[in-house]
Amino acid sequence: MTIEKHNGEYLDLLLQDVFKCVRCGFCNSVCPTSNISISYMGSRTSRGRIVILQAYFSNILNKPIESDEIQEAFDYCFGCRRCLDICPAGVKIPQIVWRVKSLKARKRLLHRFLFSNYGLLEKICSKMPKLSNTFLSSSLGKTMLERLYGIDRRVSFPKFYEVSLESWFRRRRFQNSGGRKLSYFVDVFTNYHEVDLGIEIVTTLEKLGYSISIPPQKEAGTILFEEGLIEEALKIARYNIENLYKSIVNGSVILTSSPAAYLALKKDYPEFLGDEKSRIVADNTFDVLELLLRDVEEGRVKLDSREGFKITYHHSCFTKASGLTKTIKRLLSYAEYDLKEVDQCCGIAGLWGMKKKHFDQAIEVGSGLFSELKNLAIPVTSQSETCRLQIRHNTGIDVKHPFQYISEIIEPRP
Amino acid sequence: MKTYFNKVSRSDLEFFEKLLGSRNVSTSEEELVVNSIDAFQGDFYRADVVLWPETTEHVVEILRYADQHRIPVYPRGGGTGLTGTVPVYGGIVLSMLKMNKIVEVYEEDMQVTVEAGMIYEKLNKELEKYGLFFPPDPSSGSVCTIGGMVASNSSGLKAVKYGTTRDYVLGFELVFAGGRKMKLGSRTFKYSTGYDLARMMIGSQGTLGVFTEITLRLRKLPQDFKTALAFFPTVESAVKSICKIVRTGLDVAALEFVDEPLIKNISEYKKISFPESKAMVLVEAHGSARYVEDVLEGCCNIFRENDAVDIWITRDREEREFFWSARRSVYPVSLRHSRYLVISDLVVPISKLLEAVLKTYAIAEKYKIKASVIGHFGDGNIHVHWFLGDNRELLPIAHKANDELAEWVIDVGGAVSGEHGIGTEKKKFMKLQHGEAYDLMLQIKRLLDPKCILSPGVIFDVDEVIQ
Repeated sequence: MTIEKHNGEYLDLLLQDVFKCVRCGFCNSVCPTSNISISYMGSRTSRGRIVILQAYFSNILNKPIESDEIQEAFDYCFGCRRCLDICPAGVKIPQIVWRVKSLKARKRLLHRFLFSNYGLLEKICSKMPKLSNTFLSSSLGKTMLERLYGIDRRVSFPKFYEVSLESWFRRRRFQNSGGRKLSYFVDVFTNYHEVDLGIEIVTTLEKLGYSISIPPQKEAGTILFEEGLIEEALKIARYNIENLYKSIVNGSVILTSSPAAYLALKKDYPEFLGDEKSRIVADNTFDVLELLLRDVEEGRVKLDSREGFKITYHHSCFTKASGLTKTIKRLLSYAEYDLKEVDQCCGIAGLWGMKKKHFDQAIEVGSGLFSELKNLAIPVTSQSETCRLQIRHNTGIDVKHPFQYISEIIEPRP
Repeated sequence: MKTYFNKVSRSDLEFFEKLLGSRNVSTSEEELVVNSIDAFQGDFYRADVVLWPETTEHVVEILRYADQHRIPVYPRGGGTGLTGTVPVYGGIVLSMLKMNKIVEVYEEDMQVTVEAGMIYEKLNKELEKYGLFFPPDPSSGSVCTIGGMVASNSSGLKAVKYGTTRDYVLGFELVFAGGRKMKLGSRTFKYSTGYDLARMMIGSQGTLGVFTEITLRLRKLPQDFKTALAFFPTVESAVKSICKIVRTGLDVAALEFVDEPLIKNISEYKKISFPESKAMVLVEAHGSARYVEDVLEGCCNIFRENDAVDIWITRDREEREFFWSARRSVYPVSLRHSRYLVISDLVVPISKLLEAVLKTYAIAEKYKIKASVIGHFGDGNIHVHWFLGDNRELLPIAHKANDELAEWVIDVGGAVSGEHGIGTEKKKFMKLQHGEAYDLMLQIKRLLDPKCILSPGVIFDVDEVIQ
């Protein structure tokens, strides 16, 4: 195979990685969208996408990468990152896909504008929650979401809380100013749509002696990477890194509760930016469950026993990719929960499963999981916010963040 | 290249679309390239069309039409082949992925009938419910299909105890060139009823017919299993241990050899600190808990007698899976260290194993390239990795080195393929390997597929088939 063709900086960066792939197909066995009804077509599978690039660089495929047909094939990757864990050749498949998508995405100006400002739009909506919720559930609102962001009309857009976590944090009277310092990197969903979880995390950790701040920040930007808007995502990344780095210099460590936020700080930012500051931020970032586990194991926190209480632990794709699974299972085992594990993708993948063009496929991806959870008919815990949303919508079962199962049985050791 | 075949025309496509529906016919460039290559590191080719039959009758009609119109047909399963069973002459890629159902489980008979496109691991997951499994366990098991396994008589890590795919195929339905459908074999364990045509078809890599339904005998899932890893100061001591285990008759389910460079690759990939050693042996036992302990103890005694520097025994299922997943990944992991790589699939009588390893090192030194040896040594199967680094220019040298080793293997009574097949890669060895029997094979090919429609260029050169 010869490599004779290249097409600008983005594809240059792909070359080495693309030809590391030996087409073993292991990625197909774990890729959620490579195991649905359309996956009989090789081009709609994980391995197929890499082969397309190998063929392109070998001058066998004459279509441009930014052509609609090729982009359609790459659109079936929703960035779950399960392939990263299994690829023996170490091919960074999601990053390759983002770069391929970027060839088209950067030319779509309206799409670029809308997605790179979705954090701002969320912020504006959160200022008038009642109006936003009413509008977004109305026919006109759904039409707008469909036209602008491609969101399917069947999606119930997550509700905005009366107040964002950041506003609540600024306004409250009590604040623990002593103790170990944590800077909370909240991310959009917890800030606007799961504020109660954020409040529970802040108040519980303060009771455990932590001092919490919420430094200036923007969204994690995972959706932007997945939309191929790499430059826009990195602009946000630089802003976040700058502010979080300052917090670290001032003696804090960074706290996250969303696996997407954790992955952005631990892996995406340092890999793309490759600078000292992002590496320092990565080294000093901890998920709330990591902190709790450390406190339990070092004897600072005692947990009541929930022996006999059955819960299903759902392995979210991002939790697996972040390597936090063992931490979470260990923590839940200290509480003696009777744990049943389910390791299947729910199909939502952030925004992907909400889009009109993928809505039915997302349900198909998750169908096995939904049936299994319905059969088990016990409460579910999942670390990912959008997985919780998808599972709730499709099963009617109560789904909580693992922290919520732990916080209710925490006793600070005197 | 002489023109033996016709390209797929517009009217041909119309026929296929009428037969299969447009969703089961694709001429899109990206679909063609993806279906025209497998895991063999060879050149890209391009089929004219990809077809997805949903029934045996579809396969019958496609083969009838292709024969009439001289269009090549390349049956395809999971596309994980390692020898290049690819559309060298264009034509049709016949993807079996839509024929992927279990037809029937005969629980009392410990048998199953499946469609050819069923994925190996998915089948075994279903069979778990019955406490049964189909054992060959190729490394590509999560992606490869049963039809593909039968077509290449594949096997893997457990062949030393359980044998290869061929040992489990009782019978099948297949479609010959020209569209003749036939059932071969039976549903019995014993079969002495004239020529055993079924066995002849196994390993034919899509050159004699297209498998559509296959009946397999199954084994009971073992109650328990345990793995041990032993590390040796020399290659000689590791190979001697392996041979002694086999000769003693210890009932091992896997018996693998890995030499130093590949131990290092695994260690880096899985972040394991292995003891310093020149070779590692992985052994697994299956059976009741007590039986497994006894078998492994027997193996460990042999390891100690042969100066093993350390022996690790896995503590639980998770640890066992961890080491086996590392072993399964060796080939692609090697690509992290060497962008260009040639891999062999040689098999020798076990008395020749040590000589084969030493011969490999000597040839590597002669050609001044790096080589490393891994293999299912319990059944004499050797996968040499010839590492070329980033230097593509070394490919012809690696092939030359590999050819020299292959010729030596044939000379000592071995074979050029244990489980990957011939494909387009190893055709050059066919005459040397088979002698006069090669002509008989050609005659069989001509008898069953006179126009050489089925997988032309695979196993045989077309010039030899069509005279």
